[in-house]
Amino acid sequence: MHQTKKHSVFIIVLLLALPFVAGVHLIVGQIDIDFSDYWNALFNFDGTNSYDIIAREIRIPRMTMAILAGASLSIAGLLMQTLFNNPLAGPYVLGINSGASLFVAFSIMTGIPFFTSTLGITANALIGAFVFGLIILFFSRFLRAQISLLLVGLMLGSFTSALVSIAQTVSQADELKVYTLWALGSLQKVEFQHLMPILGVFMVGIVLTFFVAKSLNILVIGEENAKLLGVNIKRARLFIIALTALFTGLITAFCGPIAFVGLAVPNLVRMILKTQSHVTLIISSALVGAIFILLCDICIQLIEPHFLIPINIFTSLIGAPFVVFIILKKLR
Amino acid sequence: MIRIEQLKVGYHSALLSFPSIELKQGEMYALVGRNGIGKSTFLKTITGQLAPIEGIVFMNSRDIATIPFNVLPRFVSYVNARFPLVDFLSVHSFIALGRSPYTNLLGKLSSDDLDIISSVIEQLNIAHLKDRFTSELSDGERQLVAIAKAVVQQTDIIVLDEPTAFLDYANKEEVLNQLTSIAKMMNKCVIVATHDIDLVVHKGIQFLLIDETLKTGNIYDAAITKADILSTCFKSMSV
Repeated sequence: MHQTKKHSVFIIVLLLALPFVAGVHLIVGQIDIDFSDYWNALFNFDGTNSYDIIAREIRIPRMTMAILAGASLSIAGLLMQTLFNNPLAGPYVLGINSGASLFVAFSIMTGIPFFTSTLGITANALIGAFVFGLIILFFSRFLRAQISLLLVGLMLGSFTSALVSIAQTVSQADELKVYTLWALGSLQKVEFQHLMPILGVFMVGIVLTFFVAKSLNILVIGEENAKLLGVNIKRARLFIIALTALFTGLITAFCGPIAFVGLAVPNLVRMILKTQSHVTLIISSALVGAIFILLCDICIQLIEPHFLIPINIFTSLIGAPFVVFIILKKLR
Repeated sequence: MIRIEQLKVGYHSALLSFPSIELKQGEMYALVGRNGIGKSTFLKTITGQLAPIEGIVFMNSRDIATIPFNVLPRFVSYVNARFPLVDFLSVHSFIALGRSPYTNLLGKLSSDDLDIISSVIEQLNIAHLKDRFTSELSDGERQLVAIAKAVVQQTDIIVLDEPTAFLDYANKEEVLNQLTSIAKMMNKCVIVATHDIDLVVHKGIQFLLIDETLKTGNIYDAAITKADILSTCFKSMSV
């Protein structure tokens, strides 16, 4: 069983690399903040030292969100790829975050104050992601070719952005501002006080994901065969879509859309590990995803003095060519 | 053991009907019938994938309709005509999926599970394949691997839909011999849909023949001749 050993080594290396990369991420910013500031920001914060404030309100949330976004979107992508038996599935290409955007847009435009609060936006993003997950699930029943599902996802995205544009033209200036700021999205907008609840939801998602690992392992050989091995297909599908929506909605709510990570990372991990054991794939995808976004954001911070690139643009720059590579390799 | 009582199978209306018959442990049954007559429909019905139009299927004297879907894989295993094509799925992992009806919520294989898998791999002479990926196997190897997955499921009944369809002569023989020995040595009830009449006749294999004009199925013992099989299943053919 040297295969299992190789997987363990891979995961241990990632586990060691993650804190290192996260550490680098914390120190590459334009203002030098040393370890004692981070210590004070976390355990000894009194709100007087401006370095401590930067550490607590900017650096730590940005690093944490980079890790959570990378891990969440990669797990969401892995879940969708296995569920739809499609290497090109992912939360972005299948329009799951369009769902989040649409629900957030419409709810903000209603002018009801609750919907502009962090909790309101998050709730709507989660519901929107879940509803669009169900729509994709519905269409997937009728589609045979792998490429068809992607085209449906693409259309769903276009249709949604059209609806959002219409909503924007008829909305009030204040609401438009709230939405536009949200839709820009970035890793920097999360406040320190929100980190613990986000982390909590993420952890719940991770634990639940391990409970679908067995179903995922069986789903790999197709739904018909999985049914013959006693998998409750309908329940498994709903549960997997709900988890995908949870991860995607959570990240979209706080960071806006981040493209291609969910699609590219699980494919990369599968290519390296050459396995279909989903416990291994879940852990590895989460870690690789986290490290990938951290690295992207480190690059962004390094070039920030010259010009500003949003994280979504940066991941597209790297992700899109990689996806073309996967198409050439698998779907020719 | 499967007992069928006045069974009518089909999707919306009855395609085929069967009298009350019993398929016993320790026997292999070759299911022979014309293309499109409803063999797969029958196999889906006796494996609980499709409800009968009429009648009852008893699996080890239990009405199949009362067996929950997650318990059914402990009674019957089913080998599909098509082998799933998956990247990076090793033969060992694929066969291990046959143990999933017995593993816990997290799907962890116990040492007993691993022992069962190893012994079946030995028994079917496919130890050299176990670290290969399933996508790299030949058609003959695929069938043996699919059979191994069904055997590790440790069910009394094993049902296979045309396992010899895409195989060369030698592999057809190998697969049918393995299945016969599984039935006899492991005391299983094995039901195989096949068109390879020459390879199953006079081999100690029982027959489940589907009459072309009456649209009924019935059991015939191993002594039946090829001519009798042809005249039952393919009446329209001038023999």
